[in-house]
Amino acid sequence: MPLLTLKQVVKTKEHAGSRFQLLIPDLVVEPGEFVAVVGESGCGKSTLLDLLALISRPDSVACYHLVFSASEQRDVAKLWMENDEVSLADIRRQYLGYVLQTGGLLPYLNVRKNLLLPMNLNRLPDGLQRVVDMAQRMGVSNCLHRLPESLSGGQRQRVAILRALSHSPRLVLADEPTAAVDKRRAKLIVEDFRSLARDEGLSIIMVTHDLDLVQPVADTTYGFHVTQYAENEIHSVCSREIP
Amino acid sequence: MSEVRSQRLRVLFLAAAHLRHEWVLTLCLVSALAAVLAPLLILLGLKEGTVETLRDRLVQDPVYREIRPAITRTFDQQWLDRLHNEQGVAFLIPTILPASSMIHLRSGTASGELVDLVPTAGGDPLLLENSGVIPLEGECVLSSEAARRLGVSSGDQVTARVTRSRGGRMENVDQLLQVVAVLDTRAGTLPRIYAPLDFVVDVESYKEGREVAARGWRGESAYPYMSFDGVVVVSQIPLDPVTRTGLVVNTGLLKAVSMESQDFTAVTGLNLTQGWFAYDLSIPSGSVTMSSVVALKRKLRGRDALLLPYAEGITLTLGEEKVRARGLSISSVWAERLGWPVPPWGELSTTALSPSRLFQLLWPAADVVEKSVVRADFEGIRPLNFPLRVSGVYQPGIALLPAELIGMLRTARDRVVGYNPDSSGLLLERAGFRGFRLYGRSIDDIPLLVERFRSDGLEVVAEVDAIERIQVLDRGLTQLFWLIAILGVVGAGAVLVASLYAAVERERKDLGILRLIGLARTDVFLFPVFQGVLIAILGVMLGWLGYTLLAGVINHTFDGELSDGQAICRLPASYPWLALLASLGLAIASSLIAAWKATRIEPAEAIREE
Repeated sequence: MPLLTLKQVVKTKEHAGSRFQLLIPDLVVEPGEFVAVVGESGCGKSTLLDLLALISRPDSVACYHLVFSASEQRDVAKLWMENDEVSLADIRRQYLGYVLQTGGLLPYLNVRKNLLLPMNLNRLPDGLQRVVDMAQRMGVSNCLHRLPESLSGGQRQRVAILRALSHSPRLVLADEPTAAVDKRRAKLIVEDFRSLARDEGLSIIMVTHDLDLVQPVADTTYGFHVTQYAENEIHSVCSREIP
Repeated sequence: MSEVRSQRLRVLFLAAAHLRHEWVLTLCLVSALAAVLAPLLILLGLKEGTVETLRDRLVQDPVYREIRPAITRTFDQQWLDRLHNEQGVAFLIPTILPASSMIHLRSGTASGELVDLVPTAGGDPLLLENSGVIPLEGECVLSSEAARRLGVSSGDQVTARVTRSRGGRMENVDQLLQVVAVLDTRAGTLPRIYAPLDFVVDVESYKEGREVAARGWRGESAYPYMSFDGVVVVSQIPLDPVTRTGLVVNTGLLKAVSMESQDFTAVTGLNLTQGWFAYDLSIPSGSVTMSSVVALKRKLRGRDALLLPYAEGITLTLGEEKVRARGLSISSVWAERLGWPVPPWGELSTTALSPSRLFQLLWPAADVVEKSVVRADFEGIRPLNFPLRVSGVYQPGIALLPAELIGMLRTARDRVVGYNPDSSGLLLERAGFRGFRLYGRSIDDIPLLVERFRSDGLEVVAEVDAIERIQVLDRGLTQLFWLIAILGVVGAGAVLVASLYAAVERERKDLGILRLIGLARTDVFLFPVFQGVLIAILGVMLGWLGYTLLAGVINHTFDGELSDGQAICRLPASYPWLALLASLGLAIASSLIAAWKATRIEPAEAIREE
């Protein structure tokens, strides 16, 4: 059973008189799958991520299902319809991880506390040991007591990835996690990310403009087909790229 | 539920961590709050301390709790009892006429000193709070001035000499008293002696000429005085208007009118014999005293005239029967001339008032045993029951009694008269007291009590001005405090609102991330609220510290002016908590706009902001 199933999801955004519409005809993520979403800027990557992160309400949905286990299933379309923000926040807290482009670490907490935060929010035990172990694997164990502002770009992204993974989510969303890092380091980070996720058995949807970076590691790749529908209206369709 | 609570606790930690991270801004906010709070606390402390110190000085001195009537009036026992049970009254003792309270005190061979005798009783704050004790019978307490003049101190003996003038002669009695205490000067600068109420009342009785048997002080026994509604003059020669007017001059009487025979019968219960004339001498709506009767008698000397003092409406219940009682005290000669019954008690007398002469009657019925004794009931202010010896018979419906007894019964309608079976006589009881000395429970009771007395039409003397001055000062300072407090609260509130709001604006992205990683809107709502609460707690702590230091300096400066335990700047122990509560209220109220703003943050927008 796929972890995530989206069918005919539409999201329209309006900005300064111009319309942008994103259509996702069919997106499926299996457990443990690494999905890469590749596209140039302005094609709707962020819009897609917001939909997947449950922080943006779709305009119309045929199907939006999250299946964590046989007994843990969520009909996201229904939750949005009922405007059940509390349940959506619960899903985000328990099952989702998110790596922001610029890290998204809380500046007033040191690395250790940043990493512990998702675990504490979910009241998971033995957080500290797990944090130390994961930091070691990701090569940032010497940064645990530092504040995010004192980290280098690469370190910050590694910590951000760790924070997205620390509470053992089922799906990690990564928004250009290596945009601020040079190509060589980016490759290393993505590889470490990939292997850690595989060991944890979780699925990744990584959004990037850099196809070369993800092609070696991605199980599936999605792309965007953008058309100028009218003078002030752009339509973008996100669909699976046939390798 | 516990999950919700733990999430909120997490938000609290995050809010605290954020404040710590931005510690410079936090310190500024906390200082701003403390800078508002500390001066307010100092102001409040000065108000409380000053007022308390001023009150303390009054509270320690019972003079400020004393109320006395400003006029001499009769206060009956019931009235005093009621007053004693009044709220706010701690101690009440009746006092006697000021003129009766001056006595001579002597110590050893020294010449006497005139001092004021003041009654006291258990619980008298004036004595107890001025190093005195309550004197018992045979003891007394002296004011410092009295002790100084007499050269005595506690443990010495003094002789109290009570003097009076009776029938033109000076009389006096002595009483040895043990001085058990001398009061502080604070209790008053006049020479005074404090003694038990019983002794003071006896002194008053003696001064008024009465006998005090228990102390062996001789004097008149306490018969009720006689009063009448008028006097009938009976004469065989008609009195012309000029003579009649001459009769009332200088007798205290006002009116003299001639009487028809039926009026005479109505008033005296007797028939006026043909050829005799009767005149009614009276004081309209007043009572005729025995001295008026005596003066009138002196004027009529040499004229062939008879005086019949009368009182109307006196009825007695003899056994079952209600009968009209009339007075008739005449000699047998007069009785025979006028054809009236001869009363065995003889003619009118001011001195022959022995019970055996007074308590007789001529029975108003035929079936009677002479010399037998009947019980008579009379409705005075207090019901009277006394025995009467039957000395003869008179016509039905009218009992003839000695005019002197009728006069006393008339008095019993105005004053409390009792019958004493031991002395077999009527006794005039105390009319009440002529004043009182009252102490309130606290100085705050005094203005209320004074107000009560004044609204009841009783002018009183009390140190109410001093108390009211403090209350006015207290109210004024309280108003001032609230004015400044409102200014301070508005200022501090504005600073908090602006700071917490700005913090949420700065934190937009971080709050968006918190939403992204799973906090609900209600959780981020609490973020600024918790920050406000934390700032309030720290602000109160810093403010209280500032207050404590400053109050210490102020109190140290005024150290010399104050006695032990007094402070010019002091707050009750509950005030830190009140300050905390008020600050928390202010902080939470101030954080609400910021909190609302925080819930409006959309993570989808906030997380991509730089």
